Amino acid sequence: MSSLEAVSLHKVYGGRTVLADVSLSLGEGEFVSLLGPSGCGKTTLLRLVAGFERPDGGRVLLDGRDITGVPAAKRNLGMVFQAYSLFPNMTAEENVGFGLRVRGEATEARRKRAREMLELVGLGEHMHKYPHQLSGGQQQRVALGRALAIRPALLLLDEPLSALDARVRVQLRDEIRRIQREIGVAALFVTHDQEEALSISDRVAVMERGRIAQLGEPAAIYEEPTSLFVARFVGQMAEFDAEIDAGCVRIAGHTLPAARAAGHAPGERVHFFLRPEHVRLVAPTDGLPGVVESRTFNGPTTTFRITLAGAGTVLATVPTTEARHTPGETVGITWDPAAPRILKLDGPAPAQDA
Amino acid sequence: MKWLWAPLGAYFALPLVATAVMSLWQGRQGYGFHAYAELIHTPEMWNSLLLSARLAFETIVAGLAILVPAVFWMNLRVPRLRPVFDFVSVLPLVVPAISLVAGITAIYTGPDWFVGTANFLVVPYVLLALPYTYRALDVGMRALDLRTLTEAAQSLGASWPTMILRVLVPNLITALLGAALLTMTIVIGEFTFASILLFNTFAVYINHIGSTSATRAAALSLLAFLITWLAMLGVALGGRRAAR
Ligand SMILES: Nc1ncnc2c1ncn2[C@@H]1O[C@H](COP(=O)(O)OP(=O)(O)OP(=O)(O)O)[C@@H](O)[C@H]1O
Ligand SMILES: [Mg+2]
Repeated sequence: MSSLEAVSLHKVYGGRTVLADVSLSLGEGEFVSLLGPSGCGKTTLLRLVAGFERPDGGRVLLDGRDITGVPAAKRNLGMVFQAYSLFPNMTAEENVGFGLRVRGEATEARRKRAREMLELVGLGEHMHKYPHQLSGGQQQRVALGRALAIRPALLLLDEPLSALDARVRVQLRDEIRRIQREIGVAALFVTHDQEEALSISDRVAVMERGRIAQLGEPAAIYEEPTSLFVARFVGQMAEFDAEIDAGCVRIAGHTLPAARAAGHAPGERVHFFLRPEHVRLVAPTDGLPGVVESRTFNGPTTTFRITLAGAGTVLATVPTTEARHTPGETVGITWDPAAPRILKLDGPAPAQDA
Repeated sequence: MKWLWAPLGAYFALPLVATAVMSLWQGRQGYGFHAYAELIHTPEMWNSLLLSARLAFETIVAGLAILVPAVFWMNLRVPRLRPVFDFVSVLPLVVPAISLVAGITAIYTGPDWFVGTANFLVVPYVLLALPYTYRALDVGMRALDLRTLTEAAQSLGASWPTMILRVLVPNLITALLGAALLTMTIVIGEFTFASILLFNTFAVYINHIGSTSATRAAALSLLAFLITWLAMLGVALGGRRAAR
């Protein structure tokens, strides 16, 4: 049974369609991320689910019940905001207990629950501190505890990590995931950081201008983009114009292997995508020749930027232990025929996953 | 620049000192607290002070009850109306008190307990305090992320009244205190309305005493000054405590 079901939601702001026919359902305990560029409607979708905005069309169901007309205060959803949202006049404990206090729960039970939640988010000993005495990361932990204290039917998070520095971000995102799993509550997580989305989600919904462009498991989103938008937005890929040639592709006069060319008619013009980690560097005569433009050290890996004659540039990421080439050198590139993705020139490719 | 302090100090201190000396003067018996003693035993003085205090309280309650939700709503939902609010809020400073009185007496209708008593003064007093109350509240609310706070409270299940009482008011305590004390000083010192509408408020009484007994008038002025000054101190201390 699914815990949240959004059915063809529409939202219009001042004549501009911000969400167009968005449908999404979350299974029980599932963690789904909304990923997309700024202004694509992620926050709007979350706010429709939370009840802060009314949709101009469509419905929101929670555990099978239609809550489209239910005010936010009656939805029993836990929400963590991007901006620091703790009540400045209350201690961490009082903040976490607020939702229970509003529900009229007895003081003792409330305190106990608040303490449990603060232990869970790792802030047991900061219980009596006020928000201004806590760091940004700690404040967001308290906000998470506060959202969970009411035993919400669903957890909504709108870029809760974006105000934090890189280290705390990674640490906290893993912790959010651990706590969410532990409690077993379904979560809808908004982010524009793809690494964040891919690393902690059960499924990712990539959004493009008010629509869901692709919805799938992180690996599927990464490996099998079904549209140009997703292919270009998620990760880095070299992109070439190519022509199908009987099970291969032709790029700038070279005939190159690509298993997926088989699904296309010979002579068809297509987009050819290749991820940096799929590119192998070989002798110039053994592959498509090119010149090493630059070399970037990333720690465990090293990235080469290679200019191919007449085709553009391609990035190649190899383990640093195997990175032997230097800028100016001529190399050949090759790849596993299964690696390249091929997408039609216009319109999305046929759907490859459910 | 140090030499500037002497004339400046004198400028502020001399009138006070002179008033104090005057209030202590007892004619041929030299100096003493006779004027104060007499005042304390004058029921009219107490009545006027109590009336002013009651009016101050009523004005504070009425003013905040109207302005807290209004400024909250403006900040949260229609910030583009801010210029309108700003403009309206300074009108009482621009329109002369005398034309306010004329305008208000023109709408002098309503139940007897209201128009027939000094309670009616609350209407012009709320207007007079408007610029200060509005400023204090607006500054206080702008310092908060109202939208996020209200949405957080809503998602936790709080109704609007709960939100205003449990979240908004506690975080505005300094602003509310400031607004209340400023209102109090304005009401205690207001003369024009009370005098024209023939109510015996504290300021009216000071004026009346001034025409009968100079020493008592001086003593009373000093008391009024003290009240005002304590109110200011209250604002300053409240502000410091909240800024900790
Ligand atoms: N209250 C509003 N009134 C008018 N337009 C709005 C309103 N809220 C959002 N929009 C518009 O709707 C679009 C989607 O906004 P939304 O906040 O959902 O984007 P987002 O995907 O969350 O972006 P970001 O990553 O920048 O937070 C934007 O173009 C925005 O300008
Ligand atoms: Mg957003």
